[in-house]
Amino acid sequence: MKRTLLGLLTFCLWFPSTGAGKPTASAVGAFFIDEVWAKVGERTCLKCHNTEGDASESKFLMQDTSRDLNGLSKNLEVFLQMAAKRKAGKSRLLEKPTGGLKHEGGVVLKPDSSGYRILEEFVDRLSEFQGRKDLLAGHHQPPFFNGLTMMAPDRLLRRVTLSLAARLPTKEEHAALNKRGLRALDSILDELMKEEAFYERLLEGFNDVFLTQGYDGNSERILSYDHFNKSRNWFLKHDLNHVPEKERQKARYKLAGDYRQALRREPLELIRYIVANDRPITELVTADYIMVSPYSARGYGIYEQVRKKFKNPDDHLEYIRTQLPALKARSGKVQKSETGRYPHSGLLSTFQYLRRYPTTDTNRNRLRARMYYQFFLGVDILELASRVNDAAAISAKFDNPTMQAPDCVVCHRTLDPVAGLFQDFNAEGHLGPRKEGWYKDVFGPGLEGEGLPQKEQWRALQWLGERTAKDPRFTVAMAEHVYYILMGRRVLLPPEDIDDPMFGARRRAYKQQRRLIEDAAKRCANANFNLKVIFKDLIASKLYRVDGLAAASGNPQRQEELDDVGLVRLLTPEQLERKLTALFGQEWGELVGRESKFMILYGGIDSKSVTERISDPSGAMGAVQRIMANDVACRNVVLDFSRKSRERLLFPNIEPDVVPGDKPDSEAKIRRAIVHLHQHLLGQEHTAYHPEVERTYQLFAGIIVEARATKGLDKRESYHCGRIEGRRIEDPNYTLRAWRGVVTYLLRQHDFLYE
Amino acid sequence: MNRRELLKLCGSAGLGFAAPMALPPLCQGAEPKGQLPDYVGPYYAIFNASGGWDTTYLMDPKGVDGINRLYKEGDILTHGKHKFAPTAKQVQKGISNEDFFRKYGSELLVINGLDYSVNNHAPGSRYMATGKLDSLAYPTFAALVASCRGPDVPLAFLTFGQYSATGNLVPMSRVPYLNSMNLLANADGIQGNSRSPYHDDFVTDRIERALKEQAKARAAKVRLPRVERSQSMLYAAQLNSKALERVTPYIPKASPKGRLSLQADIALASFKAGVCVSANLSIGQFDSHGNNDPDQMRLISEFLDGIDYMLTKAEELKIRDKLVIVIQSEMGRTPTYNKGQGKDHWSIGSIMFIGQDIRGNRVIGATDNNQLPTPVNAKSLSNDREKGIRVRPEHIHKALREFARIDKHKFSSQFPLKVSDKDRLRGLFG
Repeated sequence: MKRTLLGLLTFCLWFPSTGAGKPTASAVGAFFIDEVWAKVGERTCLKCHNTEGDASESKFLMQDTSRDLNGLSKNLEVFLQMAAKRKAGKSRLLEKPTGGLKHEGGVVLKPDSSGYRILEEFVDRLSEFQGRKDLLAGHHQPPFFNGLTMMAPDRLLRRVTLSLAARLPTKEEHAALNKRGLRALDSILDELMKEEAFYERLLEGFNDVFLTQGYDGNSERILSYDHFNKSRNWFLKHDLNHVPEKERQKARYKLAGDYRQALRREPLELIRYIVANDRPITELVTADYIMVSPYSARGYGIYEQVRKKFKNPDDHLEYIRTQLPALKARSGKVQKSETGRYPHSGLLSTFQYLRRYPTTDTNRNRLRARMYYQFFLGVDILELASRVNDAAAISAKFDNPTMQAPDCVVCHRTLDPVAGLFQDFNAEGHLGPRKEGWYKDVFGPGLEGEGLPQKEQWRALQWLGERTAKDPRFTVAMAEHVYYILMGRRVLLPPEDIDDPMFGARRRAYKQQRRLIEDAAKRCANANFNLKVIFKDLIASKLYRVDGLAAASGNPQRQEELDDVGLVRLLTPEQLERKLTALFGQEWGELVGRESKFMILYGGIDSKSVTERISDPSGAMGAVQRIMANDVACRNVVLDFSRKSRERLLFPNIEPDVVPGDKPDSEAKIRRAIVHLHQHLLGQEHTAYHPEVERTYQLFAGIIVEARATKGLDKRESYHCGRIEGRRIEDPNYTLRAWRGVVTYLLRQHDFLYE
Repeated sequence: MNRRELLKLCGSAGLGFAAPMALPPLCQGAEPKGQLPDYVGPYYAIFNASGGWDTTYLMDPKGVDGINRLYKEGDILTHGKHKFAPTAKQVQKGISNEDFFRKYGSELLVINGLDYSVNNHAPGSRYMATGKLDSLAYPTFAALVASCRGPDVPLAFLTFGQYSATGNLVPMSRVPYLNSMNLLANADGIQGNSRSPYHDDFVTDRIERALKEQAKARAAKVRLPRVERSQSMLYAAQLNSKALERVTPYIPKASPKGRLSLQADIALASFKAGVCVSANLSIGQFDSHGNNDPDQMRLISEFLDGIDYMLTKAEELKIRDKLVIVIQSEMGRTPTYNKGQGKDHWSIGSIMFIGQDIRGNRVIGATDNNQLPTPVNAKSLSNDREKGIRVRPEHIHKALREFARIDKHKFSSQFPLKVSDKDRLRGLFG
């Protein structure tokens, strides 16, 4: 019987593929879509052969099908036409990509490449396509989010408020959500994005991207001796006579520290100002102003001019927007400026940003150009650098490889003109153009084919910023940054290896995410480039809200498609610290700050040498989690019980004298307390007999039982964890210590440590 | 439940197929106390001269055509098969080439004429670390070997800088200070004091058991791949972190002053305690576009001093014979000086190895007087302008994977290196 079944199965599997000796229409269509189009057409041909590409005058034009799959029919048609045309017996579809028939794009596929082999197969199978009109009709993939479950609105709200505002949702927010469902999210986010905590998070996130906090040396070194020698060290001579002499030195140290913090924070404050005031995010590269605080304004020597604009001149972190005058050197020479002002162009022209990405005589601002492309156009020029046949030989062979050697020109033609736009700034990030003028042996200043007009040279970065703001890639790059801030990881890169069996699945996942990013960018652009629109779009998206699988999928392709789906982000040290503060009403204080022992250990960054956050916990991080869970429980359990019940955060509905089994309603009370803890700490809405609550109950009850059976245990809470105002608290039933064990257990869980 | 039973459970839950680790971390971690993972070697230490070293001032001396201003061709020194630049007169701190080659030349394998293929820091670092230029997904060798050899040890892959991608195979660890090791080692003790625990022992045991039961229950559930992976990793990280208590006896009482020696101490304590497979050590500032010679003299001697420190201390800890050291940089420096007395990026350089099962006193490959590479015969490893190949990072990595016996491991297969069999460097390590 078994053998018969196997035979039948084999026959069933074989029969459809052979049919009447000709592949089915859907199989033929799938070959075009998944192989010819996905692996060759879209990746190679479409780059030029589209209505706006370099080959727009060619007849071999195709459509981008990222959004409109209807374009596939048209593309199949042009591929069939091209494949059918022959020259000396060989299909033009095979001649052209290998550089034949005067293909203007040169060699785009090598004859031994996988892409070429796919085209060969397409040409060989031409007869299967001809005369059939239903080839693409049956090609419908199920929706990407089929079989996935979305997060309940209440949990989503908790995630959003904790993530962006470092607090739990308010009753009003819950009520709005219950009344209007997810539609309420928009207005909730509008209000949330006015809160100070949101801006702390925003600035922290953008520093992860731009890393401006990590520039080299003391903060005031952004201010050149040549232009700010009289003002940049103002704190050394600032009048502190009102401070008792004994404390004066310390006060001066604090003054210096505050001043340095104020200076270093300026670029991030620019982002805050733009977003908080609903100004277009394009001002990141076009703002004709900078942000200064009372302290940093003194460094620039403009404090007296702006003093009255501050609400509190003693607040070193109160920022206002202002403009610097054209800089005047010690020699008396004034920076060339038609407006009489320093030509501000958002972040691009801040000294902090320029110093963070320094240059050398041989680098010639190429690092600055590279970072410009990466940050503002989303193009990482070097990350996928292609191999040069013999870089050293080329360097030796050409007098000027970057302008002469084709292998080098391909990048330097794009990079060096942008580098030239930064020519007024020296290695230190100060205004300091070369005395002999910009280098002549590089491609001249400009942007992607457009040269910088001579008359614009004094405001070259403004010229760059204006063009950048109009480039659709800019808003997409901003959407990618917001994605990173929300999700804690970079956007997916398009799969490159067409031989990878998972290529199709990876491509689909990439395209799904890409559509989200591009849509958010478009909506942002349509809303006067308001960055908040991107936050709202991404948060409302299914990619952000996905919470689980309705059923297991045994299909490896589907598993690969879903590999990056779901937020599931290990909280950063800063996020974890804020969450602890929100839930316990007091900070733990060990994870962040200059003195923190755990900041780097727990995957944090210093913006300078450590610039990438760790997203998967190592054993070292596991140890930090254990320390945190032990210590936070230690600091908070007895403290919480010492408050009036209505003021408690952790144990509002139970007292330490409730012991399992001692009264009929004890167990119910304990379970209610556990349900509250699960809700408060983990955001879980469980019933009293849910398996997770049951496990926690068994932990609590088991500790009490074992404590009773253990001789010699102290009847008081421990010295370290059990004191209130210096007095050790009685714990005759061991319940305080058992609750401490429960809180420790909950703080070590995935639902607490991950977002 | 013993380890075997738990592995069986995880396998039946399908974890073995879904999780990216060699063994599902949940399964790796869920062991009774006392059976925590213990890695016994070999230990891999990758020393990175970050910024691009001047190989003509170290293992590939020239002294001709103005390549070096500090010595002439006739000043070049030898030790066994090695040729090296004289630096004793310039070195103010650290260790000179003379001392280094005298001490380690018999164990040292040098490959000259390595073609880094690119002239930029980021791709060069990536290429040298992974053997793959055009992918951001590939793990570094250090991460790969850690994931293959000891994915369950708590600090499997330690990094102190330089390119450190893991390919999502193994978590990376950053442990910047020695004293932080004490805290980590005793996470259940108040302020790292094991004699003053937060909880009574039975409470801690019950917490661990509850977490273990929870992990088992979750393993049976249908989860998103990211959820499944992260829950498994989290559980393993916390459980396996207990093995860090074994580090305590090996933490030196005083912190050394050198940049590399500090890193070496942390790595060595972790190796010795059996909680670490590989470490990425690094010092920067080699990017000597200005004043090449003084900078390289200062840095090379500091760099060699760090290597010497690690080898010496490893000897004291009795793990010297289990150590494999890779010594590298992401690029070389030009044969000519620029106007600022500096040298710019050059795509040809060298790499060195010392350690367990590496046959020393050998130099493979060469550069000519223009600092251009001489092809190497992949079979004989001799210079061969006719049939030789340009030795590139993928060739080195292919050989390294074979040497570490991880070339057949499924993680290596996930990240293949495109080196044909005829181009495989045979017997590179002896």
